[in-house]
Amino acid sequence: MSTVEQPDRETELAELVEQHRARRAEGSERRHYDLDDRGFNEVPKKWRKFYRHWLGAGDTLAPNEIICPVCKVVIRSVKEIRAGDRLYCMPCMSRLLVVEADDGTLVPEVVY
Amino acid sequence: MSEFDPHALAEEDFLEEVRSVDFWFQAVDGYLRDRSYGRVDGTPEPVMEAGERDNLITTLCNYCVGETAALEASSGLVVIAPNRHAKIFLATQVLDEARHLEVFIRRLSDLGVEDPEHEIELRANPNLVRFKDRLLEFVADRDWDAAVFAQNVILETMEYTVFRAHLQDADPVTAQVLDGVVKDERRHLGFGENDLGRRLVAMPEKRERLAEVRAELDELVLVTFEEVQDSVGVERSARADLGGEYLAAVERLGLT
Repeated sequence: MSTVEQPDRETELAELVEQHRARRAEGSERRHYDLDDRGFNEVPKKWRKFYRHWLGAGDTLAPNEIICPVCKVVIRSVKEIRAGDRLYCMPCMSRLLVVEADDGTLVPEVVY
Repeated sequence: MSEFDPHALAEEDFLEEVRSVDFWFQAVDGYLRDRSYGRVDGTPEPVMEAGERDNLITTLCNYCVGETAALEASSGLVVIAPNRHAKIFLATQVLDEARHLEVFIRRLSDLGVEDPEHEIELRANPNLVRFKDRLLEFVADRDWDAAVFAQNVILETMEYTVFRAHLQDADPVTAQVLDGVVKDERRHLGFGENDLGRRLVAMPEKRERLAEVRAELDELVLVTFEEVQDSVGVERSARADLGGEYLAAVERLGLT
């Protein structure tokens, strides 16, 4: 059976706010990440490390991760995610633009 | 930068990649390779009470109605698709839908149903059958936008939501079958929303027509959604969130 994929919205939102504040506090240096394969097997092997399943309550998003609003998969980047980034969700073929919401959170918007 | 970074792809290269048969083949190989008819060999058949088994049979019969609708509609859509990428993607969807129908029918057989086709006819939800008929009319009328909206946004979002809810409480074998289906559904609903979204940006006048289609089908969809969730046993408190995924997709497309 697969992992639980329905994100806890309140947890997700709180995490995003916390991460965004932390990034601001740390200045403008953009962190880079070496991605590891988290067992996401819904895309060809060469793309797998860029995605993972949301594990439900207790899971958290890293600064280089964001949840696809269309299919709820966690999208991962080699860079810390910032407003203005363009990301692709290969599992559902969506193109996303990261924007900063009024409350300072980073939100992915679908670009058609 | 990583050697392969999907986020660094040019938009056209991204679309070429994700709508290719090659992408589809490698993707499904990742999660179906070790399965036979959607289940892992050797998983023991669970013991069920008669009522629980009967409920599951009704649910699976209605899944078969939905999958048959998608199989017939997506194969018809290949013909009227406006470009090569859409035709190729829909060809992969046809095979996905055929597999879904096959695994659900196999599951019915596992549960002791001797004539699955007859059982499906007996237990089919009338609202779902009406939805299927309407979807096939859109395809027959070569109405691409309405058909993609009905199939890849409405039907796929409903299935994706219901299947995910069902697999949380399903017996281990049914959960294995549903798990593989859900992974396919991600592609289908994403294709629908993104294809329509692009067309609505280019041709905003189509929004009014799709809002009419939505108004026509909403009642059928929501009633069917409610009844299927009843048969699956989804808690009432969880239903607003589940219906919310369909409404969120409609809102993103500006069809509210």
